[in-house]
Amino acid sequence: MLILAIDSATPVAGVALLDGEKLIKEEFSNYKKTHSETLMVMVDRVLKECECTIHQVDAFAVTIGPGSFTGLRIGLAAVKGLSMATGKPVTGVSTLDTLAYNLCGSNALVCPLLDARRQEVYCGFYDASGVIPNTLNENLACSPEEFTARAKDVARDNKKDHIIVLGDGYNPYAEFFKQELGKSLQIPPPHLMLPRAGALGSLGLMKARKGEFEDIFKLRPVYIRLSEAEYRLGRGEL
Amino acid sequence: MKDTLILGIETSCDETAAAIVKNGREILSNIINSQVNIHSQFGGVVPEVASRKHIENIGQVVYSAFLEAGLTYSDIDAVAVTNRPGLIGALLVGLSFAKSFAYALDRPLLAVNHLEGHIYANFLEHSGIDFPAICLVVSGGHTSLLYMSSIGEYELIGQTRDDAAGEAFDKVARFLGLGYPGGPAIQKAAEKGEPGRVVLPRVFLDRNDFEFSFSGLKTASMNEWNKLKRKGLADVNDLAAEFQAALVEVLVEKTIQAAIKYKVRSILIAGGVAANQELRNMMKNKSQELGLSVYYPSLELCTDNAAMIAGNANISYIMGNYAPLNINAYPGLLSL
Ligand SMILES: [Zn+2]
Repeated sequence: MLILAIDSATPVAGVALLDGEKLIKEEFSNYKKTHSETLMVMVDRVLKECECTIHQVDAFAVTIGPGSFTGLRIGLAAVKGLSMATGKPVTGVSTLDTLAYNLCGSNALVCPLLDARRQEVYCGFYDASGVIPNTLNENLACSPEEFTARAKDVARDNKKDHIIVLGDGYNPYAEFFKQELGKSLQIPPPHLMLPRAGALGSLGLMKARKGEFEDIFKLRPVYIRLSEAEYRLGRGEL
Repeated sequence: MKDTLILGIETSCDETAAAIVKNGREILSNIINSQVNIHSQFGGVVPEVASRKHIENIGQVVYSAFLEAGLTYSDIDAVAVTNRPGLIGALLVGLSFAKSFAYALDRPLLAVNHLEGHIYANFLEHSGIDFPAICLVVSGGHTSLLYMSSIGEYELIGQTRDDAAGEAFDKVARFLGLGYPGGPAIQKAAEKGEPGRVVLPRVFLDRNDFEFSFSGLKTASMNEWNKLKRKGLADVNDLAAEFQAALVEVLVEKTIQAAIKYKVRSILIAGGVAANQELRNMMKNKSQELGLSVYYPSLELCTDNAAMIAGNANISYIMGNYAPLNINAYPGLLSL
């Protein structure tokens, strides 16, 4: 089963091709250019270098959020177009699940964090000791302070001595996390720090094997947050 | 000669639209998913909300365009998409979809300037338009005058310094409590009122160029309204009529001046505000005196749609002017 994985949920753009459990090519880019310019060029290059056409792909995998609103929509619009034109299905995978999968096998509490701007992070809390990371708490957007408070609670409740923080939500608050979590804090090496399309593809493959596909006409990003205008409307401020 | 079938996709503002056009002339389908009811609760288009609706609706809208045309995906020869100007987040949804759809079908991608699309709506419905022409593109996002030497050849000769005409309609209508969208609301109120009872400025009409400004007219309308209310003389219909007259007069006069200066044969009006009856009538009367032909699209093709995008793209298709896979979207006009 050939899986093409496409990730543009964060400043990273990633594309990977998997032939079943075998990862055959992965492109990762964390450089200036916008996803709109890079993503489809990467898809084309990955397929060509693997002597493969888009029609040979059996299913697509995409990160559905949380993440940058525009980035998520670029990725989703891309897989929608590919899926409709080829007739092949799409699996949607959480950006936080994808990040947590980088630390598969770890006994620590694995906490993927994404920079949500406005002094907040999107965060998840995972037990990654099994075959696939298990989420221990619902994904949410919160302040770094709220995150560390929750992380300590979840670690204590689940008897985890260490807390691994990864994702682009770490760096902006690194000093605060070090201070707040002290010796329990662990940071993964650079190659495991950010979302990897290979990890996305592996999770997508598992979903595809179970037939867990998205309805392409209804698929939309998991933003976690309302738009500013909807939020204000809900509070009666408009 | 073989027919050319082009799929057009348009997501530059608050309409998710897809259409299939044959040979740049015949509309086989024209699907528009309008978000006007969603944005009316905010009093105007909210970019993030628009982008969210686009990603939800794009697949279904494109599917419906094929269904209505009775075609399958592989029947089309090219995929056209608006990539400028517009709301950047909104444009990126349509562009990203169009890119991957064209890529998987192995068809060329054609990038279309939204303003050229609006102007092209005239060519979908009228034949024998003589060149050169002056085009007035006037909508919620734009107020621009363009010189058109032949099909597909444009030169921007003037535009608004601040608010677009449609934006001024929306803001004034909201202020007067007439509702959203403002264009039709003000036109309706103006029919019951009388211009001239209140006096509003004709901004920039004394200037010898083709620039517009509507922000001052908007402020003057609001001030005048507050003044009238204090005196107990407020008649919303009279103010609407004068506002519409002041705005339309500037649009028509500037367009006519441009037509004279550039010695053109035709005047084309395009964009959402081209649906305004006062603008249509006044432009027709003024240009008849000069022996010029005036064209404007039917009401359905004035507002944003993808048929105008697919139609306009036929020009690039014939010229082999295909867009690369790394093409981006741009909020501004750039060069035409
Ligand atoms: Zn428009």
